[in-house]
Amino acid sequence: MVDPDNQTSHLVAPVLEQLERGSGPFSSLIQQLTQIVGKNSLLYDADELLVYECDGYIVDKSAPDIVVFPTSTEQISSIVKICNQFNVPFLARGAGTSLSGGCLPIGGGVMIVLTRMKQILEINLRDRYAIVEPGMVNLHLTNALKGTGYHYAPDPSSQGSCTIGGNIATNSGGPHTLKYGVTTNHVLGLEAVLPDGSVINLGGPTAETPGYDLHGVYVGNEGTFGICTKAIVRLTRDPEAHRTMLAVFQTISDATRAISEIIAAGIIPSALEMMDQGIIQAIEEAFHFGFPLDAGAVLLIEVDGLEIALDEEARRIVEICNAHNLREIQRADTPEERLLIWKSRKQAFGAIGRLSPSYCTQDGVVPRTRLPEILEFIEATSQKYGMRIVNVFHAGDGNVHPILLFDERDQDQIQQVMEASEEILSKCLELGGSVTGEHGIGVEKINFMSRIFNETDLSQMEKVRNIFNPRQICSRDKVLPPHGEESQSAVTLSHPGRRAPH
Amino acid sequence: MTLTHSGTPEDFVPTSQSELSRFLSDNATSARKQTFPVGGRTSLAVCCPDSHSGPLICTSQLNRVVDYPVRDMTITVEAGMRLDQLNEIISAEGQRLPIDVPQSNRATIGGVIATNTSGPRRFSYGTIRDYVIGISAVDGVGNLFKSGGRVVKNVAGYDLGKMLVGSLGTLSVISQVSLNLRPRPECMQLVWFDFDSCQSVDQALEAIVTSGTRPTAVEYCNSKAARQITAESRIELPNENHAVCICYEGPENVVKWQAQQIINEWRAFSSLDAQIIEGSQASQLYNALTEYQTSSDDPVTLKAVVLPSQMMSFIETATSLNIAVQAHAADGIVFGHLPDSASSLENVNQILEQLQSVIDPGTGYLTIYQCESDWAESLPLFCSPPAGWELMQQLKQALDPLQLLNSRRFTELVKS
Repeated sequence: MVDPDNQTSHLVAPVLEQLERGSGPFSSLIQQLTQIVGKNSLLYDADELLVYECDGYIVDKSAPDIVVFPTSTEQISSIVKICNQFNVPFLARGAGTSLSGGCLPIGGGVMIVLTRMKQILEINLRDRYAIVEPGMVNLHLTNALKGTGYHYAPDPSSQGSCTIGGNIATNSGGPHTLKYGVTTNHVLGLEAVLPDGSVINLGGPTAETPGYDLHGVYVGNEGTFGICTKAIVRLTRDPEAHRTMLAVFQTISDATRAISEIIAAGIIPSALEMMDQGIIQAIEEAFHFGFPLDAGAVLLIEVDGLEIALDEEARRIVEICNAHNLREIQRADTPEERLLIWKSRKQAFGAIGRLSPSYCTQDGVVPRTRLPEILEFIEATSQKYGMRIVNVFHAGDGNVHPILLFDERDQDQIQQVMEASEEILSKCLELGGSVTGEHGIGVEKINFMSRIFNETDLSQMEKVRNIFNPRQICSRDKVLPPHGEESQSAVTLSHPGRRAPH
Repeated sequence: MTLTHSGTPEDFVPTSQSELSRFLSDNATSARKQTFPVGGRTSLAVCCPDSHSGPLICTSQLNRVVDYPVRDMTITVEAGMRLDQLNEIISAEGQRLPIDVPQSNRATIGGVIATNTSGPRRFSYGTIRDYVIGISAVDGVGNLFKSGGRVVKNVAGYDLGKMLVGSLGTLSVISQVSLNLRPRPECMQLVWFDFDSCQSVDQALEAIVTSGTRPTAVEYCNSKAARQITAESRIELPNENHAVCICYEGPENVVKWQAQQIINEWRAFSSLDAQIIEGSQASQLYNALTEYQTSSDDPVTLKAVVLPSQMMSFIETATSLNIAVQAHAADGIVFGHLPDSASSLENVNQILEQLQSVIDPGTGYLTIYQCESDWAESLPLFCSPPAGWELMQQLKQALDPLQLLNSRRFTELVKS
C-alpha cells in the first residue's frame, strides 16, 4: 500500500500464473468459465485463438489462453472473480480496432470479448442521454438515433466497427471532435466491473454528480481500471444543415496555413480533415472519386449548424482558402454528394491495402500552427528510411496520422517502422505536442511515458490506477511503464516467448 | 454570502510551484498542520463544514501567463490568475473561455476548477472540465505533478485533471493549468418569457428538445428570484410569475433570427408578450443571472441536480416552501436560496426532508451549496452519498495520506 512518508513508492506487478495448456488448473479454469458462459461462448483451441493475438496494432502479437463471450454484467463479474481465484491475468476486448495494442493480452490469460453485449438499454431525448452496453458499435448507435433529431457526437474513423466500450477505454476522437469534443466530453456515467469482480457505478444520467469526477478519470484508462459494462452517453442535437467542401491545394503548406487562418478567424468547422498526395493517389486508385493526382493536399472542410448561418461561414472559408493558393474547391450540393465526400475520407484506410501488405498508423499531435513543420519532418523521415509514408488526419486538432507502409514479413522493415515512428513521435514532443491524440498509449508507446512525464507524475497516475486495479491483474503492463525497464516491446520484455511469430 | 477568513501569521503565499511544493513537503514531514488552499476567496462557504483553523495557502502570487500561443487557441496560466485578468488577455485576441464565473473580479482560475463553477452557458459550452487540457498540482505531501499537456487533443496517460475538477482543494493544490479557448461570438441577445404556471414552463422546456433554435443558455427563475434578478440588472421585466430567459450567441443575423423564432415557437405555451433584450442590457441581465447563484445573503443556498424532465416538479415544491429558485433549466441544475424565515436548524432540516422526498434517489442529488459556517457541521451537506463514494475516499487517502488538505471539507461529510 501507499506509504504516506514515501510517496514515490511503487507497486511491482505481481507474478501471475502462466496457463499451461492441458494442465489441471487450465482444465479447471475452463470448466468453471464454461459454467458461467456455456460451452458455445468460450474458445481455447490454439488455432481459434490466433484471431485474438493482436488488434489493429500488428507489430506486437500475443495470443490469449482463453477467450470468453459474456452477455451480462453478472457474467463478467463472475469471470473476473474466477480469474482472481486462479491468479491469471485478464483483459477486455471490443472490436479490436485499437491501434496501439490496447487489446494485446500480455502474459496470455483470459480475454473477455464484449461484442455480444451490444444492446441499447435506454434512449431519453428529453434528458438527452442514452444508456448502451459496451459492445455496441459506435455507428449502430448513430443509426438507431436517426430521425430523432439527436446523435452521439464522437465518431472515430473506425466507427463502423469500433465499440462504445472501446471508445471509452481510449477516449476516442474522430473527425468531428474539433467542434464537438472527444469521448470524455460525452460520457455522463458508467457501470464497470472492477478488477476484483465488484460492480460499481460512476457518474449518472444527470448533468453532474457530487464528489470527485471518477468517470472522468475512468475514460481513457485503456482497460486498466476494469471493464466497462454500461455507458451513459450524452446525446447532441443534430445540426440543421451542413456545408461540406473539398478544397484542393497545390502544397501541404498552403493547406495547413489555411487551416490556421480559418480557426483564427473565429470559425470552428465541425471537421477539417487533410489528405496528402500519397493518400489521394491511393484513394483515387481504389475508388475513383476524381481527385487530381498531382495536388499536394486536399482538405475536407465541413461546417454545420443553423441553415441561416452556413452560407456566410462557407463563404468566409473559401475566401481564406483563396488567400492561400486554393487550386479548386468542390461543394456538396446534396446529401448524397456529402456522403460521397465523407466516404473518400472514411475509406482512406481501406485504400491503403492497395499500396502495401501492412501499415502502421501513428497518432502524433502538435500545436495546430506547427503542422507544416511536422509534415516536413515526416516527409524527411520517409526519405531517410526509403519507406513510403502517407498522411490522412484531423488537421483542425493538430492530430497527425502518418501511415507507414511496410511488409510485416520482413523483420528489417518492422524494425525500420519502429525507428521511424519513434523519430516522428519524438519530433511531435519536441514541437510541444503529444505521442497520442486518440489511439492511446497501449503497449506501443509505453516507453514514451517516461519522456512525457517525470517519475512523480507517473507515480501519481500509478496511485490512481492502483485504487481501481491494485493487483494489476487487469490489462496488465499497459499505459504505465514497468519500473526500471526499457524496451521497444513490452511484450518481448515482460513475457519472452509470448510474442507470436509474424 | 461571503465568508471571510481570519487568516494566521503562518499563511503562505508561494511565488512559484517549487515553493509551493517545498512548503507542503515540509509541512508533511514536520508540523503536519491542516492547510487551506484559497484563490479569490469567493467560494469559501461552498461545502464548508466549519471555520478554518490553520495556515492558508494563497495563490495570489501565482498569477502569470506561462504561454499563450494565440493562433493555437490555448493558454497556460498559473492557478492564481483572476478570471477578469484572464478574460482581458484573451478577449484582446477575440477569444474567450466560455465559463460563467460569479465574482469574476476576485475568482481565480484555480478556484473555478477546484469548485467546478459553472453557469448558464454550460448548456451549450459544457463546463470547465471540457476546457482543461493540462494541469499541474501539488498533493498533500508536496509532490508536484502534472497530467495532460498543451495541445487540444491528447490521451497520453490518465486524465488526472478530471479528478481535480470539483475536488475543492482536498486532493491537491492546483498550481498551473492549460486551457482550450473558443472564439468570441459577435453578438448576444436574451429573450425573457413570462409563464403563468410550472406546467406551462415544463411544456415549453420540453419543446426545446425539438426547437429550431440552438440556445446558448436556458434559465428559469421563480417569481422571488425573478424579482431579485431584474432588480439587480435594473431592467423592467415581468417578474411576478415564472420567468424563463433564453440566451443566443453568434453572428448578429443568426441571433436575431433565433430570438424571433423562439418567440414564435413558444407562443403556444405563454400568451404573454416576450421581450428581447440586447446590447448592454443583455450583458447586465446575463451578469445578474450569473451572479445570482452565489449572491444571496440568505442563510442557506441549496443545489439540486435532477433530470430536466423532473426539474419542474422539484421547483414547484421548492417554490411552495418560499425558496427563491434559479435553474439552469435545460441541464436540470437548480439553485435555491432559503428564506430568512428558515431561521433554525430544525426548520432547515424539515425543508431539506421535503425537498429530498421529491428527488428520485436513483438520478438526483440535493446538496447544501453554502451556508452559515456554524450550521455546516450539523447539516447534511450531501444529502446522499454519490456513486463511487468508497473509491473517492481511497483517492483522498492516496493523494493526501496525512489528511492535511481541507480534510474536513467535502470528504467526511456524507451522512451515509
